[in-house]
Amino acid sequence: MPSTRTRPIEKFAKATSKCAVEAAAYGKCIVADYQGVHKDMCAKEFMRLKDCFLVKLRSTPMTGYV
Amino acid sequence: MSALRSFRPLLRSSLAPARRTYASQTSGNPVLEIFNRKTKHIQKDRAAQNVEESRKVDYLKDEVAMRLCERLLDIKRTFPNVLDLGANSCNIARALTTPIPNLDPDTGAETHDATTLSDRIGNLTCVETSPALLNRDIDLPFNRNLPISREVIPDLESLPYQPNTFDAVLSSLSIHWINDLPSLLAQVNSILKPDCPFIAAMFGGDTLFELRTSLQLADLERRGGVSPHVSPLADVRDVGGLLTKAGFKMLTVDVEDIVVEYPDTFALMADLQAMGENSAIMQREAGPISRDVLLANEAIYRQLHKEEDSRGIPATFRLIYMIGWKEGEGQAQPLARGSGQVNLKDILGGGDFRP
Repeated sequence: MPSTRTRPIEKFAKATSKCAVEAAAYGKCIVADYQGVHKDMCAKEFMRLKDCFLVKLRSTPMTGYV
Repeated sequence: MSALRSFRPLLRSSLAPARRTYASQTSGNPVLEIFNRKTKHIQKDRAAQNVEESRKVDYLKDEVAMRLCERLLDIKRTFPNVLDLGANSCNIARALTTPIPNLDPDTGAETHDATTLSDRIGNLTCVETSPALLNRDIDLPFNRNLPISREVIPDLESLPYQPNTFDAVLSSLSIHWINDLPSLLAQVNSILKPDCPFIAAMFGGDTLFELRTSLQLADLERRGGVSPHVSPLADVRDVGGLLTKAGFKMLTVDVEDIVVEYPDTFALMADLQAMGENSAIMQREAGPISRDVLLANEAIYRQLHKEEDSRGIPATFRLIYMIGWKEGEGQAQPLARGSGQVNLKDILGGGDFRP
């Protein structure tokens, strides 16, 4: 039974994929010093990623995911 | 008044003589429980109830079952009674009934006659803890090509079989969830007939190292600490020792990496869940991973592990294949150490580095 309803995780994935630039910036920040990672080390980059993600999440429709 | 009342139980218990409970003895060999068996059972059952999705993610289990069964080709025997330990959805049965094409030794081309391993097997007993998963494919055509008896047992860690019952024990992608592997292997050794093989494949060591590392980094940076999300797995080096300790002879252990590409970490985790292979560690946190950590994980995974020219992300599955034989009369024995007469260097060549 093919369902047309998007699963929450797919919506999550789709929204995240639209923030590639912010994700790369956050990833680079972590990988730059991955042996010394501590809490909120890249908080600024993460907040940028999350802001972008939340905006995209709202604009992602719940149906039509391929 | 109310304050006084709340004191009362405290007083009473301190005045009452210390209560004695029944003496109980813990079983001889206490085992550290790493995996929550009940959780694992629920996860497998739940995953298999979504039949469509569950079949879609059988790619890994089917592939490994095929590779495992190819190892049976080398053993020129018939097996009247075979056990599939932790059968999942009977992937081994499916692999056994799939014809394997023979290659012509001269030309290397495929010949017309293919070997179907199921012809050499009398009866296959598939045991599994999850009835939904075990019976998922009971109506598919492959069931007609091989006598299969499906058995649901409450716990894979204690096998309800008599010693010297089986002519071979196979196991594919199940025993990485066993808490007490030494005990299970000893039981397998016991239920095998003498001079019969145990052939198994399990996830080992570096399986999902990408996910393990990126989740750790995401946990650390977002929450300031690490919680286990990916199972600890046996290492290749341990497997030989484990088999020897369980009494197996003539061991063969080899390793193979299967790298699967996924569009993103969410697809990877959703697939793992649909396989029923999501984490069941005792010490894990209750509830799902937080959204922040998932978001951070996706970014870190991509940055750390994605290849330049690929669109998706790689996930490594490290398979450990093991073959061990139960001791039996007339079995080939290794020669005593130092009794060799021929230097391997003379046959294989090499050994000196001069160009």
